[in-house]
Amino acid sequence: MKPILGILLGEATGIGPEIIAKMCYYNKLSPYCRPILLGDARVLQMGKEIAGVDFSVKIVECAAQASWGEELPMIDLKNLDPAEIKLGEVNESSGRITGGQLTTAMKLCQRGEIAGFMYAPLNKEALQRGGYDFKDEHKIFTHYLETTGLYGEMNMLNDLWTSRVTSHIPLKDVAGNISIDKVVGAIELAHDTLSRAGFNKPRIAVSAINPHGGEGGLCGREELDLIGPAVKEAQDKSIAVTGPHPSDTIFLNAFNGQYDAVVTMYHDQGQIAMKLKGFQYGVTVAAGQPYPITTPCHGTAFDIVGKGIANIDATEQAVKIAAKMAKTNNVK
Amino acid sequence: MVEGKKKLIGITMGDPAGIGSEIAVKALENNKFYEECIPLVVGDRVAIEDAIGFTNSKLKVNVVKKPAEAMDKKGTINVLDMNMLSPGDWTYGQVGKLPGKAAVSYIEKAIELAMNDELAAVVTGPIHKRSINMAGCPHAGHTEIFAENTGCKDYAMMLADDSLRVVHVSTHVPLRVACDRVKKDRVGAVIKLTYDAMKKLGISEPRIAVAGLNPHAGEESLFGEEDTKEIAPAIEEAVLQGMMVEGPIAPDTVFAKAVGGQYDAVVVMYHDQGHIPMKTLGFKLDNKTGKWNAVSGVNVTLGLPIIRTSVDHGTAFGKAGKGTANSESMEEAIEMAIQMSKN
Repeated sequence: MKPILGILLGEATGIGPEIIAKMCYYNKLSPYCRPILLGDARVLQMGKEIAGVDFSVKIVECAAQASWGEELPMIDLKNLDPAEIKLGEVNESSGRITGGQLTTAMKLCQRGEIAGFMYAPLNKEALQRGGYDFKDEHKIFTHYLETTGLYGEMNMLNDLWTSRVTSHIPLKDVAGNISIDKVVGAIELAHDTLSRAGFNKPRIAVSAINPHGGEGGLCGREELDLIGPAVKEAQDKSIAVTGPHPSDTIFLNAFNGQYDAVVTMYHDQGQIAMKLKGFQYGVTVAAGQPYPITTPCHGTAFDIVGKGIANIDATEQAVKIAAKMAKTNNVK
Repeated sequence: MVEGKKKLIGITMGDPAGIGSEIAVKALENNKFYEECIPLVVGDRVAIEDAIGFTNSKLKVNVVKKPAEAMDKKGTINVLDMNMLSPGDWTYGQVGKLPGKAAVSYIEKAIELAMNDELAAVVTGPIHKRSINMAGCPHAGHTEIFAENTGCKDYAMMLADDSLRVVHVSTHVPLRVACDRVKKDRVGAVIKLTYDAMKKLGISEPRIAVAGLNPHAGEESLFGEEDTKEIAPAIEEAVLQGMMVEGPIAPDTVFAKAVGGQYDAVVVMYHDQGHIPMKTLGFKLDNKTGKWNAVSGVNVTLGLPIIRTSVDHGTAFGKAGKGTANSESMEEAIEMAIQMSKN
């Protein structure tokens, strides 16, 4: 039986509602899961109008009432009138309601009504203004799900997964923020997440930080002192991991299928290559959380919202991965 | 050099144990270069003859003592014979002191001739760092040798292929040091070097993008101050001087914009910031093997008093002496040298 997944409309002032409307209309949900839509039915109606599609949904109170026939089930949160918001703008009340979607979905996971969820893009600023004062959504998940252990963002594009040891910090602080423990942690998180996504013994490559991988200490020592020992430690835990590899060629081998995941040391190391390879189709996975939670990598796209031209490929990928992870999910 | 006359382009043979001799021969099989220049290999006759042998080339060797003797004739490969080697002095695929010494001598000779205006540009074949170090040359590579031999202090590495050109503020230094190198004066100097290089390539109004250093180009100094304190003021100054320069732009989006045709070149802040997009874009699917290969572009040293372009790959010891090397990067490097010596 396909897993039951929550499908969240996301930030109402962004492209989320029109994307979810297209997903329903073009039958991009049911091949992977038994979807339950989550949000305000009037916002979905707005999305349908923008996308130029029409279909009807069956409003349910809880998952137990849901059935999956002609009409998809929707839990109507009845909390946002689209007349009160303006597309393409950060809106405090919309942010608060988006946060409410997330907490509702997490509760449904904890009650066992849904196995996980896929959310359409959020707007961090709106969430923060709406009272969800967290640095990012991964911190929201961790807070409400009381997640213990390692967690973080992983990205997936064309079957290649990436994660990073450091993220939104100045580049000059990156080297000082690399430690054996953090690199081992990132490798383990990648290993666990890919295992949950159905990989048997995922092959992980770890990137170096310095040019040419530090050239044996001639061009920086982090590879010898920190990254190398971390890779060794992870290998000793029977993880199929290699590195450190020079970061300008690691993606050549990765795109050739030699690795399933690449662990990078800093934000742009992976982002530059992935964005050139079509990041608009990428998926973000909330790694380390007890339930599968995914979203497309792209944002709310305020520049094209309301035109009905938003692409749904990344969202479809996100649903696919959440469903795959739900099948193999072991609640921690 | 006389105006209107075909320019003499020197090609250093590189390490004899690598693929340098082979790619020089293969590149010069292409007659088109003789329409635009007179190529002259600075190397060893015996090594070039060996490469002609194992690639089954029909090129005829014309040994010269000075560049002026080079023949403007298709099917001819002009060789300035440095006479460093005898047959058996090198083994393909192996490092060695003598091949290293020979490789350095070709470079030094070519620099001397170019400084003397006897060559219009120098295209360098691949050398092996360990071999040149064994031979007593302490440098990391060509760039340092060229800087020292031409007395140049302000230079920068450009990588270029069909779709993208990047110019580096720093190259072979640890990432920690690279961040310290991002100073207003240096960034400004590299912008100017980039501007001049684009002019030399025949672009009348170059559009230059400058990548930020930090994630999202620092996002208003939330993630680091270099973008606002060092990079932005350098850009402002360049704009005041009349150059079309934009930035700092988020490092993960600037390359897609450049590839899309919005900019002629991107100034990058550190080695991998420029190398990751170049190598990612350089991937080409080999239909025979079904594998992606990194087909490198051209490496150009900007700021030297002479023109120097280079292949952007190594000696490829694994392929050396077998006749299977790809000369594409060498051909692009020759083409770029011709272009730059015109303007």
